[in-house]
Amino acid sequence: MKTQKSDRPPVNPINIEFISQPEKIILSNKVPVYFIKGGNEEITKIDFVFRAGFTAEEIPLQSSTTARMLTEGSEHMTASEINRELDYYGITFNAASDRDSTIISAIFLNRHFTKALELLKEIIFSPRFPEDEFKTLMNRRLQWFLINREKVSTIATEYFFESVFGKSHPYGLRLNAEDFSRIKPAHLRNFHSRYYIPQEMTLFVSGKTPTGVIEHLENYVGSIVHYPADRKKSPPLPYGEKKRNLFIPKEGAVQSAIRIGSQTIKRSNPDFSSLLIVNTLLGGYFGSRLMKNLREEKGYTYGISSYLVSLDLAGYLLIATEVGKKYTQKAVKEIFKEIKILQKEPVKDKELEMVKNYMLSDLVRMFDGPFATAESFRLVWESGMDMSYFQTLAQKIKSITPDEIIHIARSYYDTGELYTVIAGPEK
Amino acid sequence: MIEIKRCCLNNGLRVIVHEDSSTPLAAVSLVYMVGSRNEDPELTGLAHLFEHLMFRGSESVPDFDDQLQLAGGENNAFTNSDITNYYLTIPAVNIETAFWLESDRMKGLNITEESLSNQKMVVLEEYRQAYLNQPYGDATLLIRPLAYKIHPYRWPTIGKEEHIKKVTLGDIKEFFHSYYAPNNCIMVVAGNVSADDVFRLAEKWFGKIKMRKVHTETLPEEPPQKSARKLTVKRNVPANALYKAWHVCCRRDPSFITLDLLTDILAAGESGRLQRILVREKKLFSSINAYLTGDLDPGLLIIQGRLNNGVSYEKAENGLNKIIEEIKSTPVPDEEMEKVKNRFEAEHIMDRVNILGKVLSLSQYEVLGDASLINSEIELYRNVTAGMVSEAAGNYLKKTSCNTLYYISTAAKQL
Repeated sequence: MKTQKSDRPPVNPINIEFISQPEKIILSNKVPVYFIKGGNEEITKIDFVFRAGFTAEEIPLQSSTTARMLTEGSEHMTASEINRELDYYGITFNAASDRDSTIISAIFLNRHFTKALELLKEIIFSPRFPEDEFKTLMNRRLQWFLINREKVSTIATEYFFESVFGKSHPYGLRLNAEDFSRIKPAHLRNFHSRYYIPQEMTLFVSGKTPTGVIEHLENYVGSIVHYPADRKKSPPLPYGEKKRNLFIPKEGAVQSAIRIGSQTIKRSNPDFSSLLIVNTLLGGYFGSRLMKNLREEKGYTYGISSYLVSLDLAGYLLIATEVGKKYTQKAVKEIFKEIKILQKEPVKDKELEMVKNYMLSDLVRMFDGPFATAESFRLVWESGMDMSYFQTLAQKIKSITPDEIIHIARSYYDTGELYTVIAGPEK
Repeated sequence: MIEIKRCCLNNGLRVIVHEDSSTPLAAVSLVYMVGSRNEDPELTGLAHLFEHLMFRGSESVPDFDDQLQLAGGENNAFTNSDITNYYLTIPAVNIETAFWLESDRMKGLNITEESLSNQKMVVLEEYRQAYLNQPYGDATLLIRPLAYKIHPYRWPTIGKEEHIKKVTLGDIKEFFHSYYAPNNCIMVVAGNVSADDVFRLAEKWFGKIKMRKVHTETLPEEPPQKSARKLTVKRNVPANALYKAWHVCCRRDPSFITLDLLTDILAAGESGRLQRILVREKKLFSSINAYLTGDLDPGLLIIQGRLNNGVSYEKAENGLNKIIEEIKSTPVPDEEMEKVKNRFEAEHIMDRVNILGKVLSLSQYEVLGDASLINSEIELYRNVTAGMVSEAAGNYLKKTSCNTLYYISTAAKQL
């Protein structure tokens, strides 16, 4: 059966020239604000980004609990008042931390713009961290933790990061049930006073923002005063554990979770774009080598993906899948086989064209609407870059050759250096 | 206001367009009016397995995904009890590729034994990943047969392992001819396109496909449940869980909107009553939620929660029942009504912020009868009164029509 090419509509070139730099202003207390305007709906999103996450912690769970406790009581409001007000005005509120940052986001209708700002200011900058709500929250979080720990996917991921970034590094931290009872409200107050301050903060405002937005931001956020705070020194660069193969038994599991990868370069490295292309070929989209082999040919799995992620202190490569327990070893073998093929055999024209067009249009999708655009911008901003990164990436996608792909696959997928972590039933 | 233009081809294919020049993308959604409800009780999971096979070769295109990705497209699909929805996004300049690919697989499939046996394996891994290898993953599989005795909603869309294994190429062909006809399909296109172009392309690519006789079966009506049902299972999970399911109206019934607000009063956000009273004040549950299945035939209202250690089922259920009885007897305060309506409005608008969200919402409303319902939905929610909420709670949340699942932890200490 061959494709009747005569029927096929022509494929037109995909351009990304529409991507532009966001507008930037500085509030009177020196807080930078980026505006990503667009969309048809009368709706706005604000992200408050503090560059303090796990690496700034003195004790595990400190940054995430500080963020989660913001809505549990403030200077002028109880937890139930805060939650009622957020819901009453239809504000979607989210507060979370990751390795490098804490991000507080709110999405709301423009007609509630000033009310939302007033509430956000109260919640984010005057929390009380009350004891009773703290206990309830920690119990709930512990329950979630215990449930997640039953999943092979969670187990494998946690041990993977511990191996790749090291047991003693915040990037590799694996939580224990005891961590949930060690943390106290005093830790949260300390974290909050150190990092929820103008000099650690950047705002991203996206959507069809209403008129007068700058004055409102100046009123509510620009008025927050600076005060000196001692930032915890950044931790040293992470280093991986010696042991490169790890098996964590999980009795009764019907699938194994496989995690394979290593530390790698960051976005600021000139090779990052090329590595992103190689990663996409290998496992970064539905048509990838791994997906075709392990799912569409062998039926070992419902899905397999590979990721390239850039953090402040390091990047990492990660291949992740869950496979039927009897295919575990075969799947690992096939993953390594596909890496070796990328390192040896030049990519054929049709596949290269497919991955190029897919990646260019994926860039377009990253800018589908103002919220997606803001997220894409924040991603490169965290690496100290701006929107021109995407133009450079597009150029690389258009120009990369099969020889370059082999070179990059050989340079960054050293199969002797890759960590293989498996969680599942014993053989 | 979301502007909608529509046409219907001679073969019965409905085409709905929303022009949005603010995005460089186009999104396309095709809904086939077939789901697990249409399956033979001895061959469940067929509709979903079939969805997988729609990507494995059509009349003249052996590689749907590759061809779409060549034009910069990305796609996915889902199957539920009522419908199968295929959707994609693509740079608007390459929209015609979507018409080529979708029309080709509506014309006919070309599935080999090898593809079929491979996708059976993939679906079985999906089953293991989503239901068997997750704590509490099989709870929804247990609730359906408890709540439904006659109606096809009694089996889950993923189907039974032994049914999936015995599907033949003949079954696949028959299923295709019975349901995958232009007159059983809705196509919605949104994005940087003109309606005239879309209608022209629809005629060009789909116009020649013949209207087919769609298999119509009268589904058996689920008889009213007369007495409460209960099921207890034991599993290796960290905490006891409680599930309760009541029969409610169908998605198109005007009461559905009232029930949707009722579930929001119970469980939306951190200020929902279940959350506020049962999790925060009384500390009976560590998490609790309420939702509607929203099916085309009468569906379920489900409340599910995980009990805190040391809390008995009796105490947890008493706490929950008290809240339900209060909604029936005491009018919900105006401010709380206003709150859930405001929340709905914000979420309804948020769903449309990207083009894919917009096209999927429009598809859902067209399935209900008219895509332009998207514009009147907020007003319908605004018109619901506290009296209507109490009445709906009284009508539907009866003790005698409740199905309860005790999902008991073998690890937690039992009381």
